[in-house]
Amino acid sequence: MGLDRRAFLGLVAGGAVGTMFTPIPWKLLDDVSIWTQNWSWIPRVPKGQIDYVTTTSKLCPAGEGLKIMRVAGNPISAAGNPDHPLSRGGVSALARSEVYMLYSPARVKSPMKKSGKGFEPITWEQAMLEMADKLGAAKGAVACVSGDGTGTVNELLSAFVGKLGAAGYFMMPSEAATAAKAVKLMGGKGQAGYDFENADTVLVLGADIFETWGTSTRNRKAFGDSRPVGQKPKSDYIYVGPTRNNTAAVCDQWIPAATADLGVVALGIAWHLLRAGATSAAPGFDTFKAVVNGGFGPEDVKRATGIAPEVLAGVAKALASAKAPLVVTGSPCGQGLGAAPVIAGMSLNLLLGRVNKPGGVYALPELATVVPGAMTREAMLAGDLPAFLKGVADGKTPAPKALLVYDANPAYGLPETATMAKALEKIPYKVSFSSFLDETAAMCDLVLPNSLTLERYDDLATPYGSGFCVYSLTVPYQKPVHDTRTTGDVILTLARKMSVDLKFDNFLQVLKEKVATLAKASGGFVAKDVMPWQVAAGKPAPALAGGDLWKALTSGYAWTMVGQVQATLGFAPEVLAKAIKAGKAPEKAVVLAPYAQLRTGTPTTGIPCQDLTTVPDTELIGESTFVRLNSATAKALGVKKGATVKLTAGGASCEAKVHIFESVMTGVVSAPLGFGHSAFDVFSKGKGANYLSLLSVVEEPGTGLSTWAAADVKIA
Amino acid sequence: MSGHSKEFPITWGMVIDIDKCTGCGACMASCQTENNIEPQPEASNKLRSTSWMLVYELTNDKAFPDHDIAFLPRPCQQCGNPPCVSVCPVVATDKNEDGGIVSQVYPRCIGCRYCVAACPYHVRYFGWYDPVWPEGMEKTLSPLTSVRPRGVVEKCSFCHHRWNLAKDAARASGKNPDNLDDGAYVTACVQNCPSGALSFGDLKNPKHKVHELIKNPNAFRLLQRLGTNTQVYYISRREWVRKLGDNYLKSE
Repeated sequence: MGLDRRAFLGLVAGGAVGTMFTPIPWKLLDDVSIWTQNWSWIPRVPKGQIDYVTTTSKLCPAGEGLKIMRVAGNPISAAGNPDHPLSRGGVSALARSEVYMLYSPARVKSPMKKSGKGFEPITWEQAMLEMADKLGAAKGAVACVSGDGTGTVNELLSAFVGKLGAAGYFMMPSEAATAAKAVKLMGGKGQAGYDFENADTVLVLGADIFETWGTSTRNRKAFGDSRPVGQKPKSDYIYVGPTRNNTAAVCDQWIPAATADLGVVALGIAWHLLRAGATSAAPGFDTFKAVVNGGFGPEDVKRATGIAPEVLAGVAKALASAKAPLVVTGSPCGQGLGAAPVIAGMSLNLLLGRVNKPGGVYALPELATVVPGAMTREAMLAGDLPAFLKGVADGKTPAPKALLVYDANPAYGLPETATMAKALEKIPYKVSFSSFLDETAAMCDLVLPNSLTLERYDDLATPYGSGFCVYSLTVPYQKPVHDTRTTGDVILTLARKMSVDLKFDNFLQVLKEKVATLAKASGGFVAKDVMPWQVAAGKPAPALAGGDLWKALTSGYAWTMVGQVQATLGFAPEVLAKAIKAGKAPEKAVVLAPYAQLRTGTPTTGIPCQDLTTVPDTELIGESTFVRLNSATAKALGVKKGATVKLTAGGASCEAKVHIFESVMTGVVSAPLGFGHSAFDVFSKGKGANYLSLLSVVEEPGTGLSTWAAADVKIA
Repeated sequence: MSGHSKEFPITWGMVIDIDKCTGCGACMASCQTENNIEPQPEASNKLRSTSWMLVYELTNDKAFPDHDIAFLPRPCQQCGNPPCVSVCPVVATDKNEDGGIVSQVYPRCIGCRYCVAACPYHVRYFGWYDPVWPEGMEKTLSPLTSVRPRGVVEKCSFCHHRWNLAKDAARASGKNPDNLDDGAYVTACVQNCPSGALSFGDLKNPKHKVHELIKNPNAFRLLQRLGTNTQVYYISRREWVRKLGDNYLKSE
């Protein structure tokens, strides 16, 4: 019997149908899906014993303690250290990046020397020889810029530069510098510290306290504790500022006010407090009262800011009736605010009797220096870098012969970016200690890469905003990934080569001396079972077991101290009278109000590569950043949602797309900072615009401080 | 949607207090590295990038000055009655394990994306590209989560590997791994949130905080009327936020 066509087709069809009733097709499908996913170029995960070690974040300005997960001894990821008072288990997106940033494509892999338009790698020995030679020739005119607001390495750098003959020691602009100026003008001493943990009503004037202001992770922990999930809030937060930013989004009330009017608002609230009988024994009270009553009545404030009198009366009532009110002032973009608004905000704390009280503001003492000839933090913060560089650019200030740049990126992170770059170009010899190839490093003659947090010993002393003195260590948990060194050690080696005596042989010795000094300080303790805010609230401070402090600090605990320097804070009414005027609101001007977020990094880190994913597409799309304005402003300007516009101010211009966002006050255009890098890597370079370039530096009347938190801008 | 939810003696769930979320992105950043999601240079293209945890910005749609905003972190909702499971032709995703976590078996996934289309919460991501880490950064991969190639769908697993670790730790200390202490197992996003906006635990365990939180009058679930019976709850004192949780008619 032959196989005819009909039988053959039947066999094939039957076979096919029959196969469907067997596991064969499903097994094949399963195998196909497995083997088409088993490619050699897909990375394999590491294997090994998991353990955890602790350190402190130096990339994130909030200074969180970190708990690092390791596999077979290699760091894998960073989480918040629950035992650290500035973290308590929380971590910012930036601090989370501490481990993977070790392998950032933007890292400087070895010492590099400028060669034409690019760089060529050199050895550390060559670099030291060249630097010793050049700095020796520049003696008497060496300047330094530091972006590390908390490290003891500043002592080494300032002593080294001082002994070479300093042309200036400058910190990158920060909220800390503005507050230090304000405290000084008020006749006070010490660093302002804010006790959020014990406060029950917090008035926030401008400061983005949950993003860029001070110890923002700790601030959020304190906020979160006073808001148990599902229960009635135990605290009241009021935000005053030009946009409902990330801080204002969770506050109980947002009062729209231009950045330039923050001082007026503060004095407007003072008017209501004074009317309700508030008084103070602090110096200058009578004059302060006269200043406030003379120009900051409800109608004056309404005319200047548009805020209805009953709104500020309500705020004053909330503050006056609270058990532990606290007023915090800062810049909505983390920099560039004048000292006068901070003084005005601090005046409210004085009127409310909240200075050196639990839940109030503390004047925190500075930790003792250990390096001979080092500057104090107060002295370092007194330098005004934008004013200095502007003077250099304009030829009014002699350019230093050499500039050392540590953990700072002034070519990107300062206002009037073009002016600052011009000033930097005038400085004949520049050395950057940057870990990443940032905009400033790209301009330098020599780049001597600093090891990153997990590769070096370093420390963190009382970041601005902390309500208590705090000190913790970073500990190296792996060999440097690249040919990098700890800058503290580099400076000490260089000093020896140049016969400059800095007392210490290596940076570890410096840190040990610092810790030994702390161990002798009275009132200090290791925050373990008792936290500093509990001590501030009356709980006895535990004793410090002297010899174990280094061990405790290298185990991730923090040394803390609750206390205040004895100095009388006054109202500084003369400054307020000169600097703050409740004038008539300008007509039709559009004001640029930048904002910053930790997820876009700092000028020294660029955008951490994993954090780019957290940026919404209403902020960045492709290579364009968005500016935010409300529909009334957009209508007045004739711009539409999604349109590409050009922002012009101070002789510079930037492009942006328009995002209509109703939580920006009318007449304000809100722009994100942290974008528009021309250096770093594919995660930062060419992404959007740097709106800092639009901000002009203006000297604040009465204080002489450079300010730039807002600027009139043209949009077309 | 019809159907009934499977019941599990242990039901892991999350409660997110929207009124505490500042939208900082720490939860997203924590999730990316915890779960071996590669850095994405073109992350602004939200149709092609991956973020198991995503923070949405909500608004009340009013003009200034009556405008209000809130941030809504969105992990996988771990539906009791998951629409993604019933459409998967190869059983690469299922809800059959104690704990009620919707699984995703990458080697079994054929990349058909039916589940992506079915998920009403947009929690599922298709890998359009092979994952690439900058040179050396693969050393920071977590050993606890496998790396996925392109062509498969992935999603939040409530950091399931952490549950395994917590159970191991409980066994090692002589405790009952099926009755973990509150906080013994939390996801990476919950652990790292600086504001304490996220809570996690066994919804059925009276000793766990979330057991009570989900009974809060301000608690709600997303698109509750679909009948998905999700294991992620949200809390907000603001009515407009709660109303955005579902597609209400103007008259409702």
